[in-house]
Amino acid sequence: MDTIFDMLFIGLLRGGLYALMASGLTLVLGVMNISNFAHGELYMVGGYAAYFAGSVFGLHPLLAILVGALAASATGVLVERTAFRALRTMSRDKWLTNSFLLTVGISFILQYSAFVIWGPTYKGVPSYWEGFIPLTPTFRLPLDRAFAFVAAVVGVSALWFFLTKTVTGKAIRSVSEDETGAMLVGINIRKMHTLTFALSCLLAGLAGASLLPIAPAHPFVGLGPLFKSYFVVILAGFGNVMGSVVGAFVIGLLETITYYNLGAGWQNVASLIVIMLVLLLKPAGLFGSE
Amino acid sequence: MSNSERKSINPLMMSVMIRLRSVGLSPPTLSFFVILAILPLFIRSEYTLRLLVVGLLLGSQAMAFSFTLSSIDIINFGFAAFCGVGAYTSALLAINLGISPWIGFIAGAIVAAVLGLGVGVLTLRLRGLFAACMAWFLGLTLQSLAAVLVDLTRGYLGLPVPFLLDVASSRPYYYIILPIAILTYVVLQGLDQSNIGLACRAIGQNTEAAKASGVNPTKYKVINFTVSCALAGVLGVFHAHFVGVLTPEIMATTHTTEVLALAYIGGRTSLWGGLLAALVIIPVFEYLRSIVMEVRFIIYGLLLISVMIFYPEGLTGLVRAAGRLAVKLIGKWRQGTGAQK
Repeated sequence: MDTIFDMLFIGLLRGGLYALMASGLTLVLGVMNISNFAHGELYMVGGYAAYFAGSVFGLHPLLAILVGALAASATGVLVERTAFRALRTMSRDKWLTNSFLLTVGISFILQYSAFVIWGPTYKGVPSYWEGFIPLTPTFRLPLDRAFAFVAAVVGVSALWFFLTKTVTGKAIRSVSEDETGAMLVGINIRKMHTLTFALSCLLAGLAGASLLPIAPAHPFVGLGPLFKSYFVVILAGFGNVMGSVVGAFVIGLLETITYYNLGAGWQNVASLIVIMLVLLLKPAGLFGSE
Repeated sequence: MSNSERKSINPLMMSVMIRLRSVGLSPPTLSFFVILAILPLFIRSEYTLRLLVVGLLLGSQAMAFSFTLSSIDIINFGFAAFCGVGAYTSALLAINLGISPWIGFIAGAIVAAVLGLGVGVLTLRLRGLFAACMAWFLGLTLQSLAAVLVDLTRGYLGLPVPFLLDVASSRPYYYIILPIAILTYVVLQGLDQSNIGLACRAIGQNTEAAKASGVNPTKYKVINFTVSCALAGVLGVFHAHFVGVLTPEIMATTHTTEVLALAYIGGRTSLWGGLLAALVIIPVFEYLRSIVMEVRFIIYGLLLISVMIFYPEGLTGLVRAAGRLAVKLIGKWRQGTGAQK
């Protein structure tokens, strides 16, 4: 049946986006113990930056996407260096709660700055690449979507390679396992924190930039992806980066299927029921070890 | 006050004062509420009164929110959803079954409490982040459901809700929300002073130690969370019948974050801080509306961040510092006059 094919493809494409967002979110949660509520806003920054690079300055789509990702990453470094570092030096008491509230404030500032500067209008591009890949007689995959999926796969694979094969990546993982231990073997924790946050924001920016033709930039565009990536993080288990990639595809498929069968608005209900079951039966998440 | 004067205070009076103090109505807070009660007598402008009503409403929400946050260290990130559930419950009962909004207050509180109990039982035995996320997801889901079930809720078109009173003025509403605000404060403060509050604070500070002393963390967390949700429901009902139109927007995450910002700017060490913050910030923002339409959220964000990092005591801290200073000055002045005599 063609519709099954369609759903499968659309679900996978959605999953790719969620994987980019959720892996970065999980990474920050695991390494820095921050549950970042402003993660969606970095997706937004990526979208806006790619829009200006691509449509206003006329850069090549690939370059525009790169600019989007780098802009989000730079924003992330700025936030980490100013807000998080200040909070960490002032008080580490109730860190998880306080850092979360801090990111709520950051999210406010980024969202409404975008609103004040660029207004409530959508800023998008019709498409980066025109054309389709005919997959089945009735379903033609737009090139933009295909590229967004490729970008997600490349982004997530690069993250996996970086975390498991490079020395710096291993250092980051060691910080997530035991910060004091990592410090004792001479790892610069501050540097690792900044790097982790930059990396996480890079992935969010990449998602926002590569999906610009499908989801135009808007001050509040980040809430949806943020909410979905939290779903994924709970489904997969906190701090498990690779588990969150699998979880992202599970949620992507699930949403597409309920969307097609029950209509808009109900996909959240289905996801909520799944999350409730997970919390009841295996609270550590599908791939959690706690 | 000399010794002879102190002795002459009626024992009945003393016991009343002790009672009041046990529910948090110490002389400063009591006078704060008295000032709030007589404030409308000096206000002619309908607009200002309306702002004060909104301020009291948001301030009470901030109190209910920070009750959970400050004692058991749980962020109820679906707070607006619990308000919205209360609001929709009462509104739908009034519209479809013709039930009075006054009974709606009870119905709204019960439905919100049951929902809160469900979320609490499911998530509060786990790490705090689970409760925050679950409440948030619930909020987003209910919001999209309220938008989709157009037959029932009219979605984003807005549900016209009967008003609580048959008057155009905000003045009577002020005298409804003020007792609700005081009641919220008294209930929460009373709970905080009771054994339940003690257990909750122990859990919030060190769960392991609390467990070792025989406190069941989940039980107290659930009680705390449910009470806060029930109050959210009550305040949601007031919102519905005060504004007169209900859209799924009431459950939006932005509302939760606004309440959260108020609670934190008010100061995490006291309940009344959030109320004070709302009463100061909401009117100021509204008056500056032409300039700060959307900038107000940037200001919220900046205030929240700076309070978090630099001055965790927030407005409460400022007021307390001012109070200490006043006591000191009065003491000095007394000494001065005493010396002259």
